[in-house]
Amino acid sequence: MSELSRRTFLKLGACVVGGACTTSTVPPVGQAAEPQACSTMTTILPYPRTRLTNLTELSVGNSLSLTYPDTSSPISLVKLGREAVNGVGPDRDIVGFSGYCTHMGGTLTYRAETGAFHCPLHYAMFDASKGGLIVIGHATDNLPQLELEVDARGEIYAVGIKGLIYGRQANILA
Amino acid sequence: MSTTYHGEDRVPIPPTNAQQFTTVCSYCIVGCGYRVFKWPQGKEGGPKPNHNALQADFTKQQAERSGKWISPSMHSIVTERDGRRYHVAVLPDSDCVVNKGNHSIRGGTHGSVLYGPDRPTADRLSHPLIYRGGTQLPTTWEEAIELGAHVIKACLDRWGPDAIAMKFFDHGGGGGGFENNWAVGKFFFTGIGTQMASIHNRPAYNSEVFASGDAGVAALPSAYLDAELADTIVLIGANSYETQSIYFLEHMLPNLSGATMAKKQQLLSGEPHQQGKIIIVDPRRTSTVAIAETVAGKANVLHLQINNGTDIALLNALSRIVYEQKWHDQDFITNRTDHFDRFKSTNLTQDLDEAVRVTGITKEQLMQAAEWIAKPKTDTARRRTLFLYEKGLIWGSKNYENVASVVDLALLTGNLGKPGTGCGRLGGHQEGYSRPNYPGKRPPVNVDDVAIKGGGSKVFWVAGCNPVGGTLNAQQFRLSVARRTALVNQALDQAIGSTAQEKVAIILKAVDAGGLFLIAQDIYPTETVKHAHLVFPAAQWGEMNLTSINGERRLRLYQKFMDAPGVAEPDWKIMAVMAQKIESLYLAEGKKDMASRFAGFGWKTDEEVFRAAAVGVKGAQEDYGETTYAMLCVLGTNGVQTPVKTISNGLPVGTTRLYEDGGRFKFIPAAWQGFPTPIQQLMNDARYPFWVNNGRSNHGWQTLYDDVRKPLVIGREPLPYVEIHPQDAGTLGVANGDLVELFNPYGVVTAMVVITDSNRPGHVFMLFEHPKGWLNSLTTDYVDPDTTIPYYKGTKAGIRKVGALTGMKERLTFLPTNRV
Repeated sequence: MSELSRRTFLKLGACVVGGACTTSTVPPVGQAAEPQACSTMTTILPYPRTRLTNLTELSVGNSLSLTYPDTSSPISLVKLGREAVNGVGPDRDIVGFSGYCTHMGGTLTYRAETGAFHCPLHYAMFDASKGGLIVIGHATDNLPQLELEVDARGEIYAVGIKGLIYGRQANILA
Repeated sequence: MSTTYHGEDRVPIPPTNAQQFTTVCSYCIVGCGYRVFKWPQGKEGGPKPNHNALQADFTKQQAERSGKWISPSMHSIVTERDGRRYHVAVLPDSDCVVNKGNHSIRGGTHGSVLYGPDRPTADRLSHPLIYRGGTQLPTTWEEAIELGAHVIKACLDRWGPDAIAMKFFDHGGGGGGFENNWAVGKFFFTGIGTQMASIHNRPAYNSEVFASGDAGVAALPSAYLDAELADTIVLIGANSYETQSIYFLEHMLPNLSGATMAKKQQLLSGEPHQQGKIIIVDPRRTSTVAIAETVAGKANVLHLQINNGTDIALLNALSRIVYEQKWHDQDFITNRTDHFDRFKSTNLTQDLDEAVRVTGITKEQLMQAAEWIAKPKTDTARRRTLFLYEKGLIWGSKNYENVASVVDLALLTGNLGKPGTGCGRLGGHQEGYSRPNYPGKRPPVNVDDVAIKGGGSKVFWVAGCNPVGGTLNAQQFRLSVARRTALVNQALDQAIGSTAQEKVAIILKAVDAGGLFLIAQDIYPTETVKHAHLVFPAAQWGEMNLTSINGERRLRLYQKFMDAPGVAEPDWKIMAVMAQKIESLYLAEGKKDMASRFAGFGWKTDEEVFRAAAVGVKGAQEDYGETTYAMLCVLGTNGVQTPVKTISNGLPVGTTRLYEDGGRFKFIPAAWQGFPTPIQQLMNDARYPFWVNNGRSNHGWQTLYDDVRKPLVIGREPLPYVEIHPQDAGTLGVANGDLVELFNPYGVVTAMVVITDSNRPGHVFMLFEHPKGWLNSLTTDYVDPDTTIPYYKGTKAGIRKVGALTGMKERLTFLPTNRV
């Protein structure tokens, strides 16, 4: 494995890259293979379990800007005030999404008056209450949505992402 | 549990030695450039730049607009005919001047609808089908062609050429192109000689813009560059953000934002320049209007929210104001036009109060529009105005005069043959038309009415379109096709175990008694295909080499990069095989004259047909001269803009815009004469209070033949929607996500309610061509008697609530699309 992926591997502890080996372990054309350690026992990317915030920190209509699964992937967490597709929390109205438009990577802004994420580059809109469904625009996937969990103390965790974040080959960088 | 579609959370990367191809989008007129990467399953590239074909660093988050991101929708694994499997990724080309790495949702999802036996596209037509045993069963090309040839020949011999009717694509891009079009025309016009020919989107064989041709103006005179240079862009009957998306985003918006100022000053020095203004003529306040206002500022956008069908009154009123203000281009009129007097005594007599009354546009708006179109910038600098129109005008209440009136306004103001000017189509499909002459008259015969619904033809060969849903007055057409084809089915059903020869006799007897023998040629088993007695499987985009031009006449080679499924063949090949069979049948009878009509189909390659088709475009805007595939390979996704002037240093030299060096034009007199009778009847009938405007939406393409297999798109739009004004929704008692029935004397359809104020009260907008609700069941059978072009864009209907679509509406969005 490359240096970077070795560090990531150690940090993640039990999670290992599963299924087919990550592409970073494939030897470049014309070079000898490096020794590889990878498990075939999972097909899920090694998503970290990351605490985002607590229920008490969220208010309806305001979006919280954080990062997940690493610091170069901005995400927005929103409490919509009405039940939403894949919403968590006691009102099932808390949702989180990638901050990059799945058209060409523009940085999205959440607007409470529309309940949508808006892209300034080519005017895409994604409906926050409908799992990031494209409303209009030229993205070729709906907005990647966080898989969220809320524990008994109201702590909100991100545990995965559905859909591929713009600008990446896999949601977890090598 | 998620019910919103998301792609995979990882994609494979092409290795450095992946095969690479260049191509152009299969869908809309803009024709964005794409690059295709293909590599064997089991191999993949690495994330470091020198380890993958994109030379991208995938160990890091990419910046926006990197041009090196593979969306899951751009990739799939295909299976070739020899069973080998390959990854294919279809990425927008950053080097193409049309799109510069940008893409629409349509072209950007090509990768997800490549054929694969284990994919949503598994139901591609792969083998010929024949009506047998009360159903459609797979057969061989030999049997299918044998039966088809015998039936066609027998009908031709007995009843003459018009016994054979057809409805075929004539466009470019996917499902079209110069190669396929040439073979189709040679078969039906030189071979059969039928007048019962019709085009994929209309009931006859006609130009969509006869008036423009009569005026001497080709349909695509300007370049995309002209949208960047114009002082004013006029969009008539188009929602360009959604229907010519990248032309709007990459060429019009930079003008409206002021980003092309430096280019204007450099290319057009010696006159003042500002950011561009835009006039948008549309009964509906669309996303295009909203985005234009955001980019240009409201002061630079004029939305003329016109009453359906009244374009002639609007355009003539503008001409009159321009003329009375003395803003017309007298030099141009004198030196380059004829028949100004006819125009003056017709168009320029448009009463302005009447125009205000019928169009619903105010006098102030008319004045402002006229100013933006023609008020000179200085004593020596005229305003450069680019007129771009599309289906809202073409499929209007009177096609001929609709087009004539906008061309006349352009001639009046001298807006042809100069940078930043033009008057032409935005386009829907791409173009790739080259055929021997149609042997019929003008106006051409209405094939829907005469040959199909009227029983006039015995054989109907349909290719690359779905008329039982998409044609005008579709419900009646659909019922006619079902009834007439069933007569042939019943005759065959009663003759179990008949030989091939006996079948021909049975079919002839059935069609003599009113039956219709249907041949359908397509890539998917559409609703029209299901009625066919013979089904021919066609190759699609990427499975053959094809050539086409886009909306600025940019000719490119769309390279073949994979096999067609099963034994599917390019359309040109199918026509050739059928022609050769019919030729051999005539030769066997000693009928040399008839045989010779079907000679000359022995092409072996796509390129041989391309070269044969060159004669059909000689002198036209598509003229590609001596251009070859090898030259087009060198030119990649930028190609050459036709007409090709010459070959120099081994490459074709093209033409940026038409009429710079000459061209003389004619004014075509055009008067507003009110609504045609069938429409007036609907307007007078209180049972049908709603105008049903209609058109496309951004994410779907035409009859959704691919999109029903793209979970992203069909998940957004499982049913056609109808936009209803909040006031009308209150009266009808409907909410978002309700199912309503729309009805009039012509047909019935259902649609899902979306409440929005984008249309005025009394007007709705329904999505057209959705297979789960064919809007065209509502359109009348009226056509412009001068051109045989339908009034698709205007019909009237009653609306009533059916019920709430619980279980579906909860995962759909009803957010308005016309706000930024």
